[in-house]
Amino acid sequence: MEPQLSWYLALSAVLFTIGVVGVMIKRNVIAMFMCIELMLNAVNLTFVAFSSYFQDVTGQLFVFIVMTVAAAEAAVGLGIIIAIFRNRETLDVDEASVLKL
Amino acid sequence: MGSWSLVSAHWSVLIGHWRLVISRWSRLTSDFCLLLMLGLLFIIFGGFAIGCAISMVVQRNPLYSAISLIGVFVSLACLYVMLAAPFIAAVQVIVYAGAIMVLVIFVIMLLNVEEEEPRPQKLRFLVPVAVLLAAILIAEAAFILSSVQMSQDDPPVSSSSVGLTSSIGTGMFTKYLLPFEITSVLLLMAIVGAMSLARRSGLVGPETRVVPGSQVLPFSLVNPERIGDLSPVETDSTAEAARLMGLDQSTPSEEK
Repeated sequence: MEPQLSWYLALSAVLFTIGVVGVMIKRNVIAMFMCIELMLNAVNLTFVAFSSYFQDVTGQLFVFIVMTVAAAEAAVGLGIIIAIFRNRETLDVDEASVLKL
Repeated sequence: MGSWSLVSAHWSVLIGHWRLVISRWSRLTSDFCLLLMLGLLFIIFGGFAIGCAISMVVQRNPLYSAISLIGVFVSLACLYVMLAAPFIAAVQVIVYAGAIMVLVIFVIMLLNVEEEEPRPQKLRFLVPVAVLLAAILIAEAAFILSSVQMSQDDPPVSSSSVGLTSSIGTGMFTKYLLPFEITSVLLLMAIVGAMSLARRSGLVGPETRVVPGSQVLPFSLVNPERIGDLSPVETDSTAEAARLMGLDQSTPSEEK
């Protein structure tokens, strides 16, 4: 009954897949952004599970760097979202499929 | 008297023996309960994470999606604690559930987005395609998990120093110093990029002079009919600017 490594990997795979489905079926830019965050978190869970299993701290360092990248992505991505909304008055990605105004 | 001492010694030996047996048995059962508890906690937190993730995808209102995503983050932090990684768990709660989600919810409320309307008929086929691709992805992951042979070593004990803040800091500042510095440069680039993206440009033209004691406004702001005209207009006071913009501020002063 003790949680094995494969349990964590399976949970991570399920979360990542849910994130992929969300990116594919969502149309709101912010909702797609949150699904990408979910995929990053699934990968983080894999990193921490392997790091804890092999008793190596490298995985947790990579999780730290992934979190930094996610923070930078949040700042720049939300800036892009605000710029799109200012120009087009919508958050629908189908409306913004052409980058030019 | 000798027989009494013999009987009492016999009883004390018996009681000591039983005490040993009971302590061993209780330790076994407590270990078993701990293992059972860990599995149960994994099921609870993993199920909560999956449920919140599905709820995030299904919800149409982005605010509810954000709240579900916070649930995913918190349950993942609990799983990190179970994996003996307390520092990562704390950073997960602080950075993800604290900083990033506050930023996302701030943008959602700033833009005041309405609920998603149903997709037009042209693109409805994307939903079954997405579910099919997800099933394929899950099948691939399950195949890999079942085909790779795991050694049945004991999972980590929490007494090791891996995952504590000191070991992470030591690793980050000795062996992985270069990725750490690259990360800092990345954050600097993100700050500059976010500022240049979110700046409202085009209101003040580059040829606008700034005279001390007066206001300089672009013409498009003064006269709403001439959008795009960025030629500067100098006004001495806010009242004059308001009069040029057509805002009726003189009426209360006439009434006095």
